[in-house]
Amino acid sequence: MSSLYSRDFIVTLIIVLIPLCLALNADSYGQRIMTLSGIYAIAAMGYHLIFGRLGALSLAQGCFFGLGAYSAGLIGVHFELSFLTCLLFAVIFTALVALIIALPVLRLESHYFALATLGIAQVALLIAINWTEVTGGANGTYGIPQLDLFGMELSSSNHVLIFVWFILVIIVSLTFWIMRTPFNYQVTLLKDTPEVAASSGIDIGRWRLTFFIMSAIFGATAGALQAYTIGVVSPATLEFQVMVSILAMTVIGGKNHPAGAVIGAILLTHLPEWFRFLETHYLIAYGVALLCTIIITPSGIFGLFEKFIIKNPAYDLKILPSKENKSVSDASSTLLEIQGLSKTYGGIKALKNLNMTLQSYQIVGLVGPNGSGKSTLINIISGLQRQDEGTIKLDGSFIENTPSYKRSNRGIARTYQTSLRSSGLDVYQAILACSTNQHNLKHRDNQTHAILTNSRLTSKTGSMVGDLSAADARELDLCMALATEPKILLLDEPAAGLSSAEQQFLSTKIRQLAQSGISILIVDHSMDFLLPVVDRLICLDQGSVVAEGTPAEVLADPKALKLYFGNSRV
Amino acid sequence: MIKLPKLLPIFAMIVLFPISAEAKETYIPILVPITGFLSLEGTAQRNGAIQALDEASSSLKIKYEVSDTSTSPEIAVTALQRALSRGKPMAIAAPIFGTQMLAMLPIAKRAGVPLITVSGTAKLTELDNPFIFRFFPGDAVVKVAHARYVTEVLRAKRPALLYQTTAYGQSGYSHLSKALRKAGAPLVFEEALAPSVKDMLPALTKLRASKPDVILLHLHSTPTALVIRQARNSGIELPIVAGSAMHQPSTAKLLKNHQLRGVCAETAASPISENHPKLIQFTTEYKKRFQTLPDAFALAQYDGMNMVISALKSGAKTAMDIRNWLATNTFNGLAMKYKSDGKGNMGHDATIVCYDGTTKTPKITKKYLNIDGTFN
Repeated sequence: MSSLYSRDFIVTLIIVLIPLCLALNADSYGQRIMTLSGIYAIAAMGYHLIFGRLGALSLAQGCFFGLGAYSAGLIGVHFELSFLTCLLFAVIFTALVALIIALPVLRLESHYFALATLGIAQVALLIAINWTEVTGGANGTYGIPQLDLFGMELSSSNHVLIFVWFILVIIVSLTFWIMRTPFNYQVTLLKDTPEVAASSGIDIGRWRLTFFIMSAIFGATAGALQAYTIGVVSPATLEFQVMVSILAMTVIGGKNHPAGAVIGAILLTHLPEWFRFLETHYLIAYGVALLCTIIITPSGIFGLFEKFIIKNPAYDLKILPSKENKSVSDASSTLLEIQGLSKTYGGIKALKNLNMTLQSYQIVGLVGPNGSGKSTLINIISGLQRQDEGTIKLDGSFIENTPSYKRSNRGIARTYQTSLRSSGLDVYQAILACSTNQHNLKHRDNQTHAILTNSRLTSKTGSMVGDLSAADARELDLCMALATEPKILLLDEPAAGLSSAEQQFLSTKIRQLAQSGISILIVDHSMDFLLPVVDRLICLDQGSVVAEGTPAEVLADPKALKLYFGNSRV
Repeated sequence: MIKLPKLLPIFAMIVLFPISAEAKETYIPILVPITGFLSLEGTAQRNGAIQALDEASSSLKIKYEVSDTSTSPEIAVTALQRALSRGKPMAIAAPIFGTQMLAMLPIAKRAGVPLITVSGTAKLTELDNPFIFRFFPGDAVVKVAHARYVTEVLRAKRPALLYQTTAYGQSGYSHLSKALRKAGAPLVFEEALAPSVKDMLPALTKLRASKPDVILLHLHSTPTALVIRQARNSGIELPIVAGSAMHQPSTAKLLKNHQLRGVCAETAASPISENHPKLIQFTTEYKKRFQTLPDAFALAQYDGMNMVISALKSGAKTAMDIRNWLATNTFNGLAMKYKSDGKGNMGHDATIVCYDGTTKTPKITKKYLNIDGTFN
């Protein structure tokens, strides 16, 4: 897997270095345009992280760009410090502002997040215009010194170009380091299916905060460089136009890959210059060119390149011995203990004072009519929903207030009633992304190999997850859950849509998993599938347990029969 | 037999002619905002510069090209770098937008090229940069005229001001409020408006509550028209004395004649209001060429470029020669007499024009000459 990562890094470096080498022989104007391209590529790289990789529509990137420009520029003018010192100050200042903003804003979803970040950018713009004594008001601050490096002024356009693009190479390397395997796959999973990511042990909050701060740091770096190459910092750097440019660069270049940010920045800084001879009409040509690019390459220019030029290598699955599952507490011990669990939606009580236990090596079936609280119970155990009352003990520790990803880290895995599929990953990558309990990439690879060789997906390792059939997607869900090395496996309707043969395969697999010590809770409506496989059956109705015992005992219970099976024999 | 020395002048002519012909071509880029919120003013600048350079083409070989600077310093600096890389400019028609000028000035100084602008931002000529020449009276001139007209002619005591949040607005506000305080009529209300604001009623409502006796505006073209229209439509009939944007025919076009009643504006000049034959000729030619009426910015840029042409005709061979000529000579332009005050401020007169409500052509009401005393 690391070879894919290395290949992507090398491709991106080539995309950075080729235009740089060409620009070294250009005139000062050509070098200036390339310098600006490099600056905007840095800002777009930050936006690639927050928007492209994480899917969060932040409209604060222009604000971070402006804050970097203002903070570096003001320090440079008033204290006559070296550029690197001013840059460091700008980066720290902007990162702190981003951190303060992040606390309330990162909790918001989709368009609320976009609006909140836009509001912050507007506030920054108003401050820049009206805090005249500090910012210079609408005139801005002028007289910012030229770029310098260790006391030497970078006066030639060649030196400025090399310096800016050197920083870009550092930023690209840092981006790849942050997005190294398997984190790149985890972030894709998080972007496409946050619920699956959370229940696979991925800390969504940590990634969102990291990417927001990193986008701010990259934006501030770009802003500081821009202020020093122009010599003036004005409210124009905080205007929405800057944000739109960065967004357009990221999208047109290809938002899913760091190389896209570089390509987008180069293209969008050069396009207006190419059309400049059209005078007043150049903006129309510019707009038409952008529109054509978006229509022709909806996934961005690098997306097109990736589609036709770069092919993902086929995975070579070695048959590895199945890894011993993580040790369970002890034979037939109580793994999960639920007491007094209640949950209300508005006026409807989904769960009422529910008590139950799960033992290791045990398969428990959960049945009940629609609305009886089965899915709510699984959601609460896995941490996707919060109970109103009650306690949940895992291995003797209370976990009812533990976030979903931590419950996954501690051994609770689940699948979903409707398969939630990440379209940006192939089968191998999706499983690898969920191996959150392994800290070594080699171990993660080995574990993924082992899971796949014991699945029905051995021939589909390179298939994109979105292209899988419903049955294969269910198999993948199970593989992904197993990759978290669970002690408890919660399966929400795992046999739905499967053929008899596929159900048989699944039954066998579930039994094998239970024999390895995993405790399994299955919700399914297919009694033909469920009854032969479970050791114990719990029947729910209106949020309460109405019958519990072996399948034979529950089937003999008149309440369960009446509520769930009607009066006919199963 | 023809002797070699006799052939030398012929060889010399053959060899040197292309070079000397090339050297005679003067490169003067026009870098102005022709898109964005200053496009009206920038287009007027472009037109004035082109008209002057085209008229001079019968006697001088001049190459010019127009580059948009839009409204950001970054684009302006890029346009300047582009112009500098394309040849050796002898002078540059530079943008009206003060913030852009602030970014361009150090580069122009390093390149040794004079910038010919009509920007009113006072700061530009306070930076000891010898390469700026401003052919539109700065705020230190026009805002004094503005305040004097309000206090001396209208005898207002309670002026209220709406100004722009841009560099232009803040510079004008600073000078106007100072001049009004000095004249004993401090502002009773002031509010800054972003160029993007379209609904002026909230500001006008607050303004009315301050009970002013005159409304002063220091806004760009479209906001000026919006404020006047919304003020008149909401029954505010107070006299309005606006900034130079209101003298522009393109601004007046946005309003109905009756809405213009009681509206005045400060400006450097109003070419469409003048009866001087040379100005009539300029206006006619301008209208024929650009299908629009000229304003003071077009005329000031026209005068500025003509002063550069005069320097060339007087034998200036380099950009530095032109700079020195502009810095030391007096030039009789169509709008006024220009002379540097030592800082690059070339215009020292201001005019007040007023609309009578029957036509969109304003009448010249008052002229204030040599306000800063440069010609004393």
